[in-house]
Amino acid sequence: MKVTFPHMGNAWIVIQTLFESLNVEVVVPPTNSKRTLNLGTRLSPESACLPLKLNLGNYIEAADEGADTIVITGGIGPCRFGYYGEMERQILQSAGYNYDVVTLEPPNGSLLGLAKRIRYLAGTNNSWAQIIKALRFAYLKSVALDQVEDLIHAARPRLPNSMETEKIYEDAKKLLAQTMTVKGVQETVRWVKESIRESQEKVDTPSEGFNKPLRIGIIGEIYTILDPYTSLGLEEELGRLGVEVDRSIYLSGWVGNHVFQGLAPGYRSIKSYPGHAKPFLPHFVGGHGQETVGAAVKFAREGFDGIIQIFPLSCMPEIVAASVLPRVQEAYKVPIMTLIVDEHTGQAGMQTRLEAFVDLLERPRLQRGIGQTRGEVFGVGGR
Amino acid sequence: MKIGFPRALFYFDYFPFWAGFFHRLNIEVVTSPATHRQIMEQGLKKASDETCLPLKLLAGHIQALKDVDAIFLPRMVSVEPDTYTCPKFLGIPESLFPAVPSGIPVLTVVLNWRKGKRQVLKDLQVFGRQLGKNKAEIRKAFTLGQEWQKRYQDSMGAGWDFEESIREIERAQKGLKDSASPPECGRGQGARTSTSAVSLKEQNTDRLRIALVGHSYLTQESYANLNLLGRLREKTEVQLVQHVSQEDVESHLLGLRKKLFWNHAKQIFGSGNKFVRDHEIDGIIYLSCFGCGTDSMVQELLAWKAREQHKPYMVVTLDEHSGEAGLVTRLEAFLDMVERRRVHEGYVSTYGERLDRDSNTL
Repeated sequence: MKVTFPHMGNAWIVIQTLFESLNVEVVVPPTNSKRTLNLGTRLSPESACLPLKLNLGNYIEAADEGADTIVITGGIGPCRFGYYGEMERQILQSAGYNYDVVTLEPPNGSLLGLAKRIRYLAGTNNSWAQIIKALRFAYLKSVALDQVEDLIHAARPRLPNSMETEKIYEDAKKLLAQTMTVKGVQETVRWVKESIRESQEKVDTPSEGFNKPLRIGIIGEIYTILDPYTSLGLEEELGRLGVEVDRSIYLSGWVGNHVFQGLAPGYRSIKSYPGHAKPFLPHFVGGHGQETVGAAVKFAREGFDGIIQIFPLSCMPEIVAASVLPRVQEAYKVPIMTLIVDEHTGQAGMQTRLEAFVDLLERPRLQRGIGQTRGEVFGVGGR
Repeated sequence: MKIGFPRALFYFDYFPFWAGFFHRLNIEVVTSPATHRQIMEQGLKKASDETCLPLKLLAGHIQALKDVDAIFLPRMVSVEPDTYTCPKFLGIPESLFPAVPSGIPVLTVVLNWRKGKRQVLKDLQVFGRQLGKNKAEIRKAFTLGQEWQKRYQDSMGAGWDFEESIREIERAQKGLKDSASPPECGRGQGARTSTSAVSLKEQNTDRLRIALVGHSYLTQESYANLNLLGRLREKTEVQLVQHVSQEDVESHLLGLRKKLFWNHAKQIFGSGNKFVRDHEIDGIIYLSCFGCGTDSMVQELLAWKAREQHKPYMVVTLDEHSGEAGLVTRLEAFLDMVERRRVHEGYVSTYGERLDRDSNTL
């Protein structure tokens, strides 16, 4: 059995770790690319959302490397994602791929059924204690990953050399993917901090030319937030424009809530969002629709300069959120921009819109003519 | 007190329940007029760009409600255990606030059958307090609502269409309670009376039988779907999702490895699957709208089934730009194809090539 799984940003690092620590053979599909999307789009229903198309592309590319079993999480609605496992199974079957699809969810609410599926994946050599240990370690890694990511978000607008910052990020991801010990994970985070500190020292005292970076909160559909290919490098692009970003959902927050059913909070828990959303959207709407609204409120209250919502075309929960967001914008006087991505989204269009949005946010500050200092990386990220 | 009920989205299918509910509470319910050009245009202006046509229409209907004390926009989370409605239903009324004319309050209540009847009743009683009604009154109203809803649903087997059923309810509201006999008055364009339809069906056995599947708020919405149902009825015998009994729907859902978790999707797939297997049905038309999330999945599931069984199958996708000529052309072409297939199906050429050999592959 060779297990594969769909990509979602850095999630592969965590999933790979999980299976490797259980000695299950795992195939990490090639990272999302134009080819992935083209392959997936060819098989997908036309109006399915972008994640489905990329997922299918991942499986096809993984099949070339010998994968024969797919692991995906499920759900019972009302977001479409809950049905994707079954949908993808049928699509792949009719396209002639001989895949076995294991959906990690309690089938018809039966926890025993879920246990059986986990047992099927983990094989007979692993005890439940080992499985739980592996889960804990993978979770720990996802928290560390999120911490690194948050540090990078803060570092991008502050460090002098953007190439170097990206290099730190890439190296950190590689290190985290390789290490199999708790100590190694901690070391990596420490190494990232060290590298940032070194780089920061090169910029001596904050000169007058630099203002405090703009802060933009990124909210929306989880796949598009977490996956830089899908969002066309939204965070990196904003970082290059001198903006510090924060996002509503981090991988471990999602894992903690969705997979561990709230037993683990994750880095930046998403639990508080429904409360924030209450005056605007008091009921959940599936997916992360309510969380999106809640995060917008939270970012607005924390004084962010702007908010960007991103979601794949025809995403149902986010459409509901998008039609509520104008009221948040009105109530807190914070500019909110909505970006919708699909397989035809072009880099240049995205870049233009981001630049225009950042210009728009910078204008009031220029007029006020305030010269705030930039602040330190560690005062902001990785807390 | 006069409550406005927009004639869109949950009006189709669930209006009888709410009509009965408010009737028992002595609250007058006013529905907006049937969709016309202006309603659609108003809706397009006020609704969010990304949302789907039915919600845009709902936004238009909300604005068309004049002279009412409040507008009623229930949040229909679920109408049966283990399912949801579409996420966009869950976002009502908040997502439609921009469309509500200023000064008119919005009444809303959560209807969630996932948590059982007790919870539904409790939510309705909380809602009743807003209306100044006590618990006993709400319970009675709830019972009547359910009775009306059941009567409407049972009536589907008799081949009524939605508007006719509603007229019956409206008559009942006025006190004329004898509903044993089916309504006799036909309605305008594209309609037929149920009694004559039954006899027509018996006479015309060689007419094509086409199943029109899709959300009730699309198939019954004759303005938005460019009177597709009426056009079909002129030429063929039409079967709808609503004509399929609940047992048939359930039994045709059994083949799924994972249960569908949307109520409408279940109905559509279950009855669609029945139509696919039904030899009486000559072809299936799936009516969808642009950007419909549930249809994007269910349409594909049903298309596989249709392909398996070599059943003629066409998908019509609506949006606010749908052109009449395009639809008519496609419809005629589809019906011609189905007709031709019926005539030539058994034809085997003497020199070894069958005329329609490849036409079954969709």
